[in-house]
Amino acid sequence: MQLTNRSKLVVKKEMNFWERMYLPAILGGVMITIRHLFRRKSTVKYPEKTREISSIWRGQHVLKRDDKGAERCTACGLCAVACPAEAITMTAAERKKGEENLYREEKYASTYEINMLRCIFCGLCEEACPKEAIFLTDRIVTTDYSRTGFVYGKDKLVEKVDDRIDVTKRQTLAVQEFKQQKQLSHNK
Amino acid sequence: MATIIIDCKTYEVPLGKNVLETCLNLGFDVPYFCWHPGLGSVGACRQCAVKVFKDADDKKGRLVMSCMEPVVHNQHLAVHDADTIDFRKQVIEWLMTNHPHDCAVCDEGGSCHLQDMTVMTGHHERRFTFNKRTYKNQDLGPFLNHEMNRCIQCYRCVRFYKDYAGGKDLDAYASKNNVYFGRAEDGVLENEFSGNLAEICPTGVFTDKTLKEHYTRKWDLTMSPSICQHCSVGCNTIAGERYGALRMIHNRFHEKINGYFLCDRGRFGYEFVNAENRIKQPSINGDVVERTELETRLEKIMKSAKVIGIGSPRASLQSNFALKTLVGEDNFYHGVSDHEHDLAELAVRILKDGPVRTPSTKEIEKSDAIFVLGEDLTNTAPIVALAVRQAVRQDLSGEPEKIHIQGWQDAARKNLQQQRKMPLYSATIHETKLDDICTSANYATPEDIARLGFAVAHCVDHNSPAPEHFPEALQVRARSIANGLLAAKNPTIISGAGCASSAVMKAAANVAIALHKNGIVVGLTYTMLECNSMGLTMIGGHRLSAAFNAVINGHADTLILLENDLFRHGSFAEVGDFLARCKNVIVLDHTKSDSTDRASVVIPAGTFAESDGIIVNNEGRAQRFFQVYESTESIQESWRWIINIGKTLQHPKLQTWQNFEDISKAMASEEPMLQNIDEVNPAVDFRIVGQRIPREPHRFSGRTSMHAHIQVSEQKPPTDDDSPLSYTMEGTRIQPPSAMIPFYWSPGWNSVQSVAKYQHEVGGSLKDGDSGIRLLEANAASSLVYFQGIPEAFVPLEHHLWIVPTYHIFGSEEMSAKSASIQKRIPTPYLLISAVDANIYHLKEQDIIKVSIANISYSFPIKINRNIPVGMAALPYGLCDAPINALPEWGIVETSPLTELHDYVRKTKVQH
Ligand code: SF4
Ligand code: SF4
Ligand code: SF4
Ligand code: SF4
Ligand code: FES
Repeated sequence: MQLTNRSKLVVKKEMNFWERMYLPAILGGVMITIRHLFRRKSTVKYPEKTREISSIWRGQHVLKRDDKGAERCTACGLCAVACPAEAITMTAAERKKGEENLYREEKYASTYEINMLRCIFCGLCEEACPKEAIFLTDRIVTTDYSRTGFVYGKDKLVEKVDDRIDVTKRQTLAVQEFKQQKQLSHNK
Repeated sequence: MATIIIDCKTYEVPLGKNVLETCLNLGFDVPYFCWHPGLGSVGACRQCAVKVFKDADDKKGRLVMSCMEPVVHNQHLAVHDADTIDFRKQVIEWLMTNHPHDCAVCDEGGSCHLQDMTVMTGHHERRFTFNKRTYKNQDLGPFLNHEMNRCIQCYRCVRFYKDYAGGKDLDAYASKNNVYFGRAEDGVLENEFSGNLAEICPTGVFTDKTLKEHYTRKWDLTMSPSICQHCSVGCNTIAGERYGALRMIHNRFHEKINGYFLCDRGRFGYEFVNAENRIKQPSINGDVVERTELETRLEKIMKSAKVIGIGSPRASLQSNFALKTLVGEDNFYHGVSDHEHDLAELAVRILKDGPVRTPSTKEIEKSDAIFVLGEDLTNTAPIVALAVRQAVRQDLSGEPEKIHIQGWQDAARKNLQQQRKMPLYSATIHETKLDDICTSANYATPEDIARLGFAVAHCVDHNSPAPEHFPEALQVRARSIANGLLAAKNPTIISGAGCASSAVMKAAANVAIALHKNGIVVGLTYTMLECNSMGLTMIGGHRLSAAFNAVINGHADTLILLENDLFRHGSFAEVGDFLARCKNVIVLDHTKSDSTDRASVVIPAGTFAESDGIIVNNEGRAQRFFQVYESTESIQESWRWIINIGKTLQHPKLQTWQNFEDISKAMASEEPMLQNIDEVNPAVDFRIVGQRIPREPHRFSGRTSMHAHIQVSEQKPPTDDDSPLSYTMEGTRIQPPSAMIPFYWSPGWNSVQSVAKYQHEVGGSLKDGDSGIRLLEANAASSLVYFQGIPEAFVPLEHHLWIVPTYHIFGSEEMSAKSASIQKRIPTPYLLISAVDANIYHLKEQDIIKVSIANISYSFPIKINRNIPVGMAALPYGLCDAPINALPEWGIVETSPLTELHDYVRKTKVQH
C-alpha cells in the first residue's frame, strides 16, 4: 500500500567488486572527518571555558536564608505543586523552641529534595514560592557518576550561612518591583 | 415547591429551606462561614449576603443574609449583582484585617474554607496597613492545635462543641475585636468529639495535632475511603497516606451513620498503624525469615498437623472467611470469650428473627423517646451517643411551627425551646456523659437494670413477664418510663454487650417487642464491643472454650490465630496454657501482642490501611474499606496470606481464588447470612468512562522525586487488583459511587465543605445514595416470643464485690489504645466502688484495694463513686490485666486497708 508520494522502493542489489572492497566508502568518511578538523568548533571546552549566559539564566536552585541566617522555606509545598516535572518533594516539621535562629517560620522543611534529572529549569518553583525561599541561580548543575547524585537534598540546596548566594542581580527590574510590592503586604 | 427568580432566571425549589441552602443546591457559589448544614443558621458572619426584591418591578432591592431568609413563593433574588458582590467583598476584607497572612505556614492551607471564600469573593489585595490583633494560644491537649490569630469569629466552634456535642469547656470570651474562642485556661479539651473542631472551624484555628507531627498537605495525600475500626458503629472515614505512613483520618460523609462527624477515638486512633511495634517481617521462633522459607515451613507444618483456626472480631469478613475455609467449618472458632460470643449471637438472633427493626444512627437522631439499658454510649459507641443527644435536642412540641420558625433557624429555635427536650431514660451502672440530658437516670447493677427493663416491658404489654418482688418505688419509675415510650411515635431502645449481661439485652428486646405490639414504630439498637463483632457472628463458628478443649483432648495440635490477642478474651492462665499446649501457633497479626510473643510463626498482616475488607456494623450494615497504600514490606492482607497458604497446600477452594472479589463471591454463595455481600460495592472492573477512580488529587506533587532516593527512575505505580481505585492521580473526575469516594474536592472548593457538591441537596444524602448493605431487617412474620428468665434482684454479699466491666473511649479499645495521642488520654487503671463500700473497707480515693477474682489476687487503686450501687464495683475494660472477659464475677475482697503503693502489682499497658 502506498501511503505517501515520498516513499521510495528499496531494492537489494548485488554489490560490485569496488563496493565489496569498502575502500571508497571508508575514504569518503575519513575525508569528512578531516574537513571538520579545519572548521570552527561548535562546542565549548567546558569547564576550562564557560559559555556566556544571560543575566536571567535559570540554573541550579538555592534555598535562601534570611538576613539573620534562618532558613526561609516553610515547607508550604507550593513549589512542589507548581512543578510541572513533579520533581520536588519535602517533609514538613514544626520548629521547636530555641530553633528560631535556624528557621524563620514556625514550620520548616526537614527534608527537601529536587530530582535534578527531572527538573526542566522552568523556574515555576521560584515563581510560586510565597516566602522568597527558592531561587534558580546562574550556577550550572554539575555532572555526576551516579544517577542518585542528582537527587539534591538540603545539603546541596540551602545556601551556606557564610557563603551567601546573591540572586538580586539576575532579576529584572519588573520582578524586583513586583516583589517589593508583595513585601508591603506581607506578615504585617 | 416554590417558584423563585434568581438573577432573572426562574427555578422550581422546595419550600422550608433558607435561601443560602437553596442557592447552593442550585449550584450558585454563595460564600458563607457561620452556617453549617449540621448546625443551622445564626447569621453571625454576614458573608452570605444576597439581594431580595419586593417584586419584579423593584429595581433597588435590599441586602439580606441568605442563610436567615426563608424561601417563599415568587421570590426575586440577585446573587451576582454589583451591590451584593461589593458587599461580600467588603465583609471578607473586614474579616481579613486581623487575619494573618500565613497560609503558607498554616496547616489548613489547601483545604481551607476561608481561603476558598476569599478567592470566591475576589478579595486579593490588602489595604489594611495597621497592626493586627494577636492572641496567646492555648495548649488544648494531644488532639488539637490552637492558633487563635486566625479566627474570624464565626462562632461555629462553640455552637458545635457546646450545643451539638454537649461540651462544657470551650467558650467565647471577651468582646468586640477581641473575642476569644478557647478554654477558660490551658488544658485538655474534654469532650469526646473535640476533634471535629478541626473540620467545623472554617479557618486554621483548630487543627489536627497528630497530623502536625507528620504534616502533609491535603493535595499530597493518597487517600482511600475507609471504615473506622474502633467501635461497632462503623463510621465512614477518609484515610490519607504519604511516604508509607498513615497521616490522618477525616470524616467521610454517610448520611445514615456519622453524618459530618467522628469521635476522637476514631479520628486519632489511627496512629497504631505507624507504631513501632508493628510486625513487618515474617518470623519463625523469633527469627526473621524470607518468604520462601516461611512458605516451605508452613507447608510442612500444615501437611502433618491437625489444624484449628481462631477468627477475630476485629478482622474483616474476608479474612475470617478465608480462615474458615482453610481449616474447615468444624475447626473454626470465634476468638472472643464465650460470654461475648453468646451476647453477639443473641443480638443477631433478636434483630434477625425479631419483629423490631434496628435503626441507623440517623434514625436514632430522629426518634422522639429513647430508653438506654446498661450502655455507657459515650464510651462504647460514641457516635450513637452524639445521635442520642441530637434526638433529645429536638423540639417536636409543634411550637416552632406555630410561629413559623423553621428547622434551620438555630438561635430562634433554641430561644423558643428553652429547657424543653425529648425524653431520654437511662439505666446504667454509674453516671454517664448523657446524664445531663436525661429525663430520668437510674443507676443499678446489670441484674437490676434488666429487672427494670422487664418491668417497663410488662407495663407496656401485660403479656410480657414481670419481675417478682419488684419494689413499688421502682414500679412507679417503670410505669413512667413505659408511659413516656408509649406516648412516642418512634422511640428507640438501646442496649448492648457493654454490661456483659444477656438479661439486659433480653429486657431491651422485650420492651421493644411490647411497644411493637402496641403498634408503635420502635427501633432496637445493640452496640457491640468490636468493629466486626456482628460480621464474625454472621459467619458462624464455635465457641472459644471448644477450641481449648479440642487441643486439650488432642483433636488438634496446631493453631492459626487471626488478628487476635487471645489474652484479651480469656484469663491469662487459661490462654497461656492453651497456647503452650499447641505444638505450633501460627499468628497473623499486624501489631505485637502477648499472643504474637508466644507464637512459633508470626505472619505480618495488614492493618485496615494496608488491606481491603468488609466489616459489619451494629446496624447490620456491611461496609467496605479500601486499601490506602501498598506496604513496601512483606505486609499483606490476612486473607491474601491465607490464600497463599491454601495454594501451597493445593486447597481445592482457596486455589481458585485470586483477589478480593473471588472471596466475596464465594462468601456470598456459601454463607446464608451474607448472601449479597459481593454487592457491597461495584466490581473490580468497574470504570467510569473507562477510567479508574484516583486515590490522589490532581494536584498531587512530587511523584518523580518522592521515591528518588530509593530508585531514581520513576517506578510504575502499583496496580490495584482488588478495587476500581488507582494509586495515582490519573483517573476520572466524575463523582464515584458513594462507597468509593476517596476525597472531596470541587473546583473552588478545596476544604471539607466541598462535600456539599457530592450531595443531592446540601446536608442530604450523597448523590449515589447511602453506601453499605443492611443485612439485618425486621422479620414481619416473627415468631420471637417474650424472653423469660428474669434475674433475681441483686443482693450485696459480705466481703464481696460484684465486679462488672466499664468502658473508656480512650483505652478500652485494643488498637486505638496503641495510638500515641490516645495514650495520653488513657486513665490509669482503677476499681470504681461506692462510697459505702469505701467506708466499709476504710479506703480513701486512690487507696489500694485487693480483690481476688477467680482465685487470682489483684490490686487496684480505687475511685469512689456516689451513684454506683453498693456491693458492686466497676473495672475499666482493657486498661489492666484483670480477666475482664470473665466479668461480671464476684470478687472476694482481701483488703486490709492502706496497702503500700509499690505493693500493687499490675501490668500497666500504658507508660505514663
Ligand atoms: S525549575 Fe521547574 S521543573 Fe525544576 S524544580 Fe522548579 S518548577 Fe520543577
Ligand atoms: S521553597 Fe517556598 S514554595 Fe517551596 S515549600 Fe519552601 S516556602 Fe513553600
Ligand atoms: S475558632 Fe474557628 S470556628 Fe471558632 S469562631 Fe473562630 S473561625 Fe469560627
Ligand atoms: S470509634 Fe466508633 S463512633 Fe468513633 S469514629 Fe469510630 S466508629 Fe465512629
Ligand atoms: S453564613 Fe449567613 S451570616 Fe454567616
